[in-house]
Amino acid sequence: MARQTESSSRDSILGRIRAGLRVVPHSAPPEESERPIFEDINNPLERFQGECVANLMECTLTADLAASARQLATVLQSLPSGSIFVQDDPALRRLIDIAAPGRAIRWSSEGAPEESSQATVTRAEALIVQTGSILVTGSCGGRGASIVAPCHIVLATMDQLVPDLTTALRRVSQQQLLNSNSFACVISGSSRTADIEKILVQGAHGPRRLVVILQSGPA
Amino acid sequence: MSSAAAQFLRDAAEKSADLAHREIIRRGMESYDTAHLKGRARIKDWEAAREKCQQIKRQAINHLDRYLVQFEQQVIARGGHVFWAEDSEQACSYVKNLATQRGVKTVVKSKSMVTEEIHLGPVLEKAGIKVWETDFGEFIVQLRGEAPYHIVTPCMHLKRDQIANLFREKLDKNIESDDPAYLMTVARRILRQAFFSAEMGISGANFLVADAGVVAINTNEGNGRLCTSIPRIHVVVTGIEKVLPRLEDLAVFWPVLATSGTGQGITTYSTLIGGPRRPGEADGPEEFHVVLVDNGRSRLLANPEQREVLHCIRCGACLNICPVFRHIGGHTYGTTYPGPIGSVLTPHLAGLAEFKHLSYASSLCGACSSVCPVKINLHHHLLQNRRDATEAGATKSSERFVFSMWRRAMLHPRIYAFGGWSMRKGLRLLYGLGLAGSALDPMQVWNRHRSPVPLPSKSFRARWRNGFNTNGKAN
Ligand code: SF4
Repeated sequence: MARQTESSSRDSILGRIRAGLRVVPHSAPPEESERPIFEDINNPLERFQGECVANLMECTLTADLAASARQLATVLQSLPSGSIFVQDDPALRRLIDIAAPGRAIRWSSEGAPEESSQATVTRAEALIVQTGSILVTGSCGGRGASIVAPCHIVLATMDQLVPDLTTALRRVSQQQLLNSNSFACVISGSSRTADIEKILVQGAHGPRRLVVILQSGPA
Repeated sequence: MSSAAAQFLRDAAEKSADLAHREIIRRGMESYDTAHLKGRARIKDWEAAREKCQQIKRQAINHLDRYLVQFEQQVIARGGHVFWAEDSEQACSYVKNLATQRGVKTVVKSKSMVTEEIHLGPVLEKAGIKVWETDFGEFIVQLRGEAPYHIVTPCMHLKRDQIANLFREKLDKNIESDDPAYLMTVARRILRQAFFSAEMGISGANFLVADAGVVAINTNEGNGRLCTSIPRIHVVVTGIEKVLPRLEDLAVFWPVLATSGTGQGITTYSTLIGGPRRPGEADGPEEFHVVLVDNGRSRLLANPEQREVLHCIRCGACLNICPVFRHIGGHTYGTTYPGPIGSVLTPHLAGLAEFKHLSYASSLCGACSSVCPVKINLHHHLLQNRRDATEAGATKSSERFVFSMWRRAMLHPRIYAFGGWSMRKGLRLLYGLGLAGSALDPMQVWNRHRSPVPLPSKSFRARWRNGFNTNGKAN
């Protein structure tokens, strides 16, 4: 398979596009408006928690690593036994040591999560207040880490909250996160479908539960 | 009349008389309406959002060549492949050849209207490759051997018991309930095996972001995530018009697309992918291909009136609000893209002569244009297509004759008056004989299914001469 584009179709399509663009459209360009589109965000934490509820995800505030570990242990206990997949990250290694001593763990450094993983535990790049979302990239344990298991648990810290999508996407551009990662995703809630009679079903192909452990101290 | 037009009229008559079908659609649309209005209310200035989206798409399309090349270069630099396909055939054979060369036996697909447009599924199946549609709604219509009913909600025309029966017949005779959550679990179990055995995942793209060189894919179920994470090869098939200049543009397009599509604030998974798995990443496909499909789009660019049709983000809002769609349903259109946008677009993509009748599948009420989040003037484009079809001589000679008579009458008041007089007399006689709606009735098309409009006793001109009273009635 040619690495580059097969050039004949590329050239003729680009040629047609360029010829087409020389035609001047009849309608006048729309006026530039800079009116604010979205509501201002006044109380970020409260707003984030509210959006999480609306997105059918769980968000728990913790004071420090020990409290986060207790919270993680509680979530893990509610799940069936079986191996879990964890992003290989120093803070998560510390957390897992305390919270899941008996569990079989597969670390992201060992490869992709297994199909049968009961849960995945990862960090996030940022939390987006406006939409109650988490931003993950390939560095957060890879692509499968946020989609394969029925439960996805995210350890985040308060300083990771960013006000809105614009700020989050600007950060992705500035830090060139899409050059150092092949993938990024803004995740806003648990997997769902409403394809039958518009009835909402939680847990389609991805996690039924998305749990954010939001720690006020450093991770 | 083209055979597509004849089929359209037959199906439209049948569907609009099917009360059970209309009831399903009415309920579906009612819950959409509620969610959509609630979603819009969450955005502080919806009109400003529409204007912004219109501006951005206009900029993107007006520099389409530059942005596509910018996108392409980055994907290639990261080890991905970009193929430019002139038409369906080129696009399908690229994917088919890739699949056969790589020994692909199973493909998992996430929802993509462009793959429907180019009929990729059947081409792959013919080459002996098993294709799984993994969006729940698409999975259901694939099992039924049907095209998607709607571009966002493919199986909205089905009730849960129909789906349970379908599953019993095609998947497992022990299906015990028609509860949507249970049916989803059944589909999930089957599709999970497909995800983990497939060698190739095929997705569409909602946007191509030029400055970041990534595709943006939105799904709620997460099937799009699995298709693009697990198989060894990921192929994106999408139209050349999906470009946005900057990554930041998504900060308005993501909420606007979700609001217009389903009323959500943002789609559950808003994914960005720029290439194959990088060294050091835990997983991801080894190969990443983007197929950029033209298929008539570059021709639309050269149309000074209708270039903006390429701004469409396929949100489905114009379908949902359209009174015609609500009565005749999605399949009646007989096209990949139904509803107002489909009626505008299809004649350009698939031929004006064959599909000009769709320009008349509209009351020109303008509801579509009023909801379109990128402010496409849809109903005006329908009118332009009517004009173009007439100018291209695609009309019947009888129709041209009637309109030439009409023109003559409109230019000569005496002929007009005579025409009005003879119509009043003639119709009165005909109706008196009980022949309304018969083959002799010039108003047959209207009167066949309706009682005749009462005939006025005096002509408008006579009433005008006598002066009107304030109620608009002649004195
Ligand atoms: S034409 Fe406008 S309303 Fe219709 S699908 Fe496209 S973007 Fe949505």
